[in-house]
Amino acid sequence: MIVPYSHVLILAGLLFVLGAVCAAARRNLIMILIGVEIMLNAAGLALVGASLRWHELSGQAFVIFIMAVAAAEVSVGLALIVHCQRRTASVDANSYDLMKG
Amino acid sequence: METLLLLLLLFPLATAAVNALAGGRLPRRAAEALACAGVLGALAMAAAALILAGRQVFDVTFLSWIRVGGFRAAMSVHYDPLAAVMALMVTFVASLIHLYSVAFMREDEDYRRYFCYLNFFVFAMLVITLADNLLFVYLGWEGVGFCSYALIGFWYRDPANATAGRKAFMLTRIGDVGFGVALALFFYLFQNLSITHINAHAAALSPALATTLALLLLWAAAGKSAQLPLTVWLPDAMRGPTPVSALIHAATMVTAGVYLLMRLFPLVMLSPLALKVIAGVGAVTALYAGLAACVQWDVKKSLAYSTISQVGYMVLAVGAADIVGGMFHLLSHAFFKALLFMAAGVMIQALAEEHNIFKMGNLRRLMPGVALLFLGGSLCLSAFPLLGGFFSKDRILLATFLHPEWSYRLFWGLAALGALLTPFYSMRLYFVAFRERPGGPEAQDLRRTPKLMVWVLWPLVVLALFDGLLNLPGGIGKNFLGHYLAVVPGTRPDLGAPPALEWVMGLGSAGAVVLVTWLTYAYYRRPRRGLRPWLNELLFEAFYLDRLYLAAVVRPCQRLSAFLWRADEGGLDQGLERLALALFRPYRRFAGFLWTKFDELVLDQALVRAAEGLLGVSRGLGFWTTGRVTTYLKMLLLGLTGFLVALALRWYGW
Amino acid sequence: MTLCGALFYLLGGITVLATVLAVTRRNLVHAVVYLTISFFATAALFYLLGAPFLAALEVIIYAGAIMVLFLFIVMMLQLEGVRKAPAALLRQWLPGVLLGAVTLAVTVAVLLSVPGGRPGLATAMAAPRQFGRVLFEQYWLPVEIASFLLLVALVGALYLGRGEGPRP
Repeated sequence: MIVPYSHVLILAGLLFVLGAVCAAARRNLIMILIGVEIMLNAAGLALVGASLRWHELSGQAFVIFIMAVAAAEVSVGLALIVHCQRRTASVDANSYDLMKG
Repeated sequence: METLLLLLLLFPLATAAVNALAGGRLPRRAAEALACAGVLGALAMAAAALILAGRQVFDVTFLSWIRVGGFRAAMSVHYDPLAAVMALMVTFVASLIHLYSVAFMREDEDYRRYFCYLNFFVFAMLVITLADNLLFVYLGWEGVGFCSYALIGFWYRDPANATAGRKAFMLTRIGDVGFGVALALFFYLFQNLSITHINAHAAALSPALATTLALLLLWAAAGKSAQLPLTVWLPDAMRGPTPVSALIHAATMVTAGVYLLMRLFPLVMLSPLALKVIAGVGAVTALYAGLAACVQWDVKKSLAYSTISQVGYMVLAVGAADIVGGMFHLLSHAFFKALLFMAAGVMIQALAEEHNIFKMGNLRRLMPGVALLFLGGSLCLSAFPLLGGFFSKDRILLATFLHPEWSYRLFWGLAALGALLTPFYSMRLYFVAFRERPGGPEAQDLRRTPKLMVWVLWPLVVLALFDGLLNLPGGIGKNFLGHYLAVVPGTRPDLGAPPALEWVMGLGSAGAVVLVTWLTYAYYRRPRRGLRPWLNELLFEAFYLDRLYLAAVVRPCQRLSAFLWRADEGGLDQGLERLALALFRPYRRFAGFLWTKFDELVLDQALVRAAEGLLGVSRGLGFWTTGRVTTYLKMLLLGLTGFLVALALRWYGW
Repeated sequence: MTLCGALFYLLGGITVLATVLAVTRRNLVHAVVYLTISFFATAALFYLLGAPFLAALEVIIYAGAIMVLFLFIVMMLQLEGVRKAPAALLRQWLPGVLLGAVTLAVTVAVLLSVPGGRPGLATAMAAPRQFGRVLFEQYWLPVEIASFLLLVALVGALYLGRGEGPRP
């Protein structure tokens, strides 16, 4: 017996909230992406805990897919950031407000 | 039969309507032809109806018209020999006059209006002729009055013409008041306005009522037929076109009054007093107008007074209870007076609107046809022996003389005097206008007039000359007209006079007429000084009757209306202005207060604030559309939070 | 408290601390490094929770590939020298922190009151062989799709990152 199952989930939730706060509160585009990564990671942790709880390997399989998606998304996202930075020389999210109004 | 009568009425009405509504689109000849066709069609219908009816009486109802409560008035027709003869005469003379008018009005641009009115007049006259219901008669009565007004004042651009039209209308209207009161009385007494009904039940009336009704009808007839005291409009009516004078003021409208009396004769004859008054009015008017006609220099005015005089004879005939004589004279007069007017029209047009006979001359040489026609008409008018007017006038005088009452002898005297004047004034016209005058017009002064105007007159002159044959006192055609009209209540085909008296009177009048004619001829062979100026003026102004009316009635009315006008402008209008100002100031203050305190402060501010509030809301909402990713991420987080909180609340059972 | 439990709390604490530090650093490189530490701790957690293969993958992919990629981009874009904008600290952080705190509170409250969370987790180990079998037998389709996804991401990243090349 390691810990009660809810503790794992609480930890995952805490990490998720931290990632959400990072994504919401930071202005730098790269930090926003980092926040997204933290959130994905927290989800993975929750899934692993669930997998252990019910002794199902499906949970862990799902974590693999999450990692794959995270990787793909990070690469494309960073490529986008590079592209945008080349056009406007800014990674400040607030400077991209063409959709204002 | 009903169809004939209906078409008789509708033909002229239809052509009048077409001319009124669509005449502008038709070519001139078509409109004129249409108008003439309307009347000629009516003539055909009248002739056919006369032949078919024989001496039968027909009562036809076309339309139930008014049904209000207990009051019924139908457009019904009472076709008896009296109506038949009258309708035939009206349509015949009207047809000739329409044809004449086509030529007479050839240079006038307003021909459409003219023919429309003329046709409508024929319709209205036929309504009077045929109608059984008195309200229907009244419709026609007013119709002829209106058309008379419209046609007298036809050349309205000259104010004098329009005034003459108004005068005619007003005076006939004064007479129509009598008709209106009589209508009301008829309804009150009989609950029925049908002539046949009234004639049938007239005997039930008391003498006073009969007298009243008869005198009211006389008043109405006096207005329409230009008898004293309502004569003054007819001379002025000569301002209208000559064919109008021929139709309306010779043959038809002026006889409408007499005709009405004849139609209601069973009622009228119940009152000997009324008959006496009628006869008196007729006799006095005959003499009065005859005297006035003697000194007129305007050919049309002379003929106008002559008309008044001759209609006086017809009225006298009614007063003497001789319908046949009155009708006979009506027919003869229609023929020769229409002839005279139209011939005069030819002369006037030929001499470039010259009305003064003393300025005419040489016309016997220059216009022989017209001369012959005019001579024929004048001889008939003067009751020259054996010609048309002779037998009719003779009969009237005989009837008057034969009357048992002594006052009728007086009337006879007046009428006989008038009969002596008639040859004088009528032959005077001929002798003066057609004589040889060295300074008079010559061939080059004459304007060309269409031959049509003369051609239509020949049938008339034939009829005028030979219409004595209608009702000869003796011989083959003895009392032909009288027997024809015998079915009409109140007629006496035969006067029942002793033959000796008839011969004496006949020869006497014949001789008198011939004598006066010869004297007139002699008188006018050389230029004459004429009468004393004061006498001349007295007669010329027809005993100043017109001036009397002008001074006693017209001027006071004008002064009163001027006074009222000034009072209105000065008093009323100014008073109203002051009142308006007095009311206006406090109102203005009140309005100002409302404006500043209430409207501007409260209402406007409320609206402005509301608008600003809305703007603020929209700006606030717009605050969130920053276009920035961070904002949207915060929103996402907010949504997630809300979702989770909701789930949790549900979990906890809230 | 067993050894594994104590270990769990320790590793959890490290993860949270590292993540907090990563979130609040202004210097991007510092943040990335701290996050790497967080991922290492997470990998250890995975091992503890009976997923050794996943722990290895976490280190390789997350801490190894993704964070290195971040570092690459940071260095490529030369973002360390970017002028630091004045930090409107409260205005920037308050909404997020507030909402996060509310979310956390609600989540913790629910999790602690649910009866399903009471039982403790028994130690177990997922053998990689076993895991691979499950993966390729039951979830072969998602695996293929994931590979396809990675191909698409590759192409996309290549295109986007190409920049203004020489025109033909």
